[in-house]
Amino acid sequence: MQSCSRVLLLTCFSVLLIAPLMLPGCSPTPSSPRAIGQPPARAPSFVAWKSETVLEASHGDALRGLLLAKRCDHCHGSEGFSANANIPNLAGMERLAFWKEMEDFASGKRNSEVMSSIAAPLTRQDSADLAAYYSMLPTAADPLDRQAFPQAATPAAQSASAGRLIVLGDVGRGIPPCQACHGPVGFKTGAPSLAAQNADYVLRQLRDFASGARANDINMPMRSIAGLLTEEERQALAGYYGSGLGRLPASAVLPK
Amino acid sequence: MSGEAIGARRARARTAVLQMLIVLLIVGTPLAMTRFYEFDSPLWRALMGHRRVDPETLHLQGEFVENNLGTAREADGSYTLRMIAQQYMFVPHCVRIPAGVPVHLRLTSADGAHALTIVGLDFLLKAAPTSVTQATLRIAHAGVFPMPCAEFCGPGHLAMNARLEVVPAERFQNLQPTDRVNCAVP
Ligand code: HEC
Ligand code: HEC
Ligand SMILES: [Cu+2]
Repeated sequence: MQSCSRVLLLTCFSVLLIAPLMLPGCSPTPSSPRAIGQPPARAPSFVAWKSETVLEASHGDALRGLLLAKRCDHCHGSEGFSANANIPNLAGMERLAFWKEMEDFASGKRNSEVMSSIAAPLTRQDSADLAAYYSMLPTAADPLDRQAFPQAATPAAQSASAGRLIVLGDVGRGIPPCQACHGPVGFKTGAPSLAAQNADYVLRQLRDFASGARANDINMPMRSIAGLLTEEERQALAGYYGSGLGRLPASAVLPK
Repeated sequence: MSGEAIGARRARARTAVLQMLIVLLIVGTPLAMTRFYEFDSPLWRALMGHRRVDPETLHLQGEFVENNLGTAREADGSYTLRMIAQQYMFVPHCVRIPAGVPVHLRLTSADGAHALTIVGLDFLLKAAPTSVTQATLRIAHAGVFPMPCAEFCGPGHLAMNARLEVVPAERFQNLQPTDRVNCAVP
């Protein structure tokens, strides 16, 4: 009985001890002052990375994807490398990024006349299957194939400035390094690898993000970044990725 | 062994176990508190009066949809500034507020833990997924301040740096109730 009361006492003490520790952590979430006056929501994309969506988008059937992909070949290439530098390469593209772009084309959140009409009749499952197939294609292009990638090497000075942005970003302007979201260092959900992407396409996307013509990035990372880049930097970055340098560790092109 | 001895032993064992539990409580609770910002259970939220904000659907619903971010003017003349922290940037990445007036900064995170600081001012506001953190800013003088993230959040953390422009109150634009202002492009 005596030990029991001692335990009770100890418990009381410890609770008293812990209570003040908890207080500074309690940042109450005050409810929003008001909801009136809030403009109607404008959604950049209807895709949200809930766990069930991630599951749905990443568990496609690659074999079914292979069959569906027949009608994509004449633009995106039979190996996922297109013959026209203005059309994106799809070989090795991350499944989630692929799936999201298809959904956005279908919903009109990403504008493209050709792709919207192609994506609209496809089901979510079709897109997941296509994503599974394209994500498995090797990112090293067959040199005998008709393809635009890789393009001519960019001048060393340009690739050095692009390399710096890719590895370090720009702390002063608040531009995070591309490789933290586009790989190889880190991948943000829904961000595709750019290592085997065509220069013309990358440049057009960067310009479209900057002008707002493409506005389907969730929470606007790319609209913000592309808007902070100068036109020379956009060209240098596009040239860097388009010439295949993105497949090397970027430190290889940084000045020593 | 006599029944009495067994009883005494049992009692000792019980006390030992209870004391161990208490030590665990004392050591474990503060440790759990350091993870406070990731702490998320319906009971805890009810106790603390938190409303959950869903980090995956910030762009679809609620007060953090992209066209509600930035500075808004309230009916009572005060200002509210809403921002999202995410790997590896704050959005809007450039915000503008009037000088000398209280501005309620409301912040949430789309992914992990971040912390918004303002260089030159003694200011830090943590950002956490599922909850909103709020602090009131009242900056007397106009100026431009960098707003770096002070919580390591991954390989892009060092460049996570937004910009705060404080403009004289009389030069700050007259905002209608549905207007939101920032200095980010586009
Ligand atoms: C008529 C040519 C054409 C055909 C056929 C075509 N595409 Fe495209 N695709 C394009 C163009 C052009 C773009 C770039 C759109 C833009 O600039 O916004 C594109 C973009 C894409 C993207 C976005 C890539 C990225 O990196 O963001 C995906 C994914 C895609 N297509 C998948 C497909 C699939 C799957 C098919 C077959 C079912 C297909 N496309 C058929 C021309 C085509
Ligand atoms: C904070 C993370 C982040 C950083 C840093 C980042 N990006 Fe992105 N980027 C994304 C995301 C997410 C997308 C996908 C947008 C969407 O949902 O359509 C994207 C898309 C793109 C696209 C379009 C790709 C395609 O296939 O359609 C290009 C090009 C691009 N980024 C270039 C860059 C460059 C160049 C840099 C460095 C200056 C960079 N990004 C830095 C997150 C990032
Ligand atoms: Cu951060």
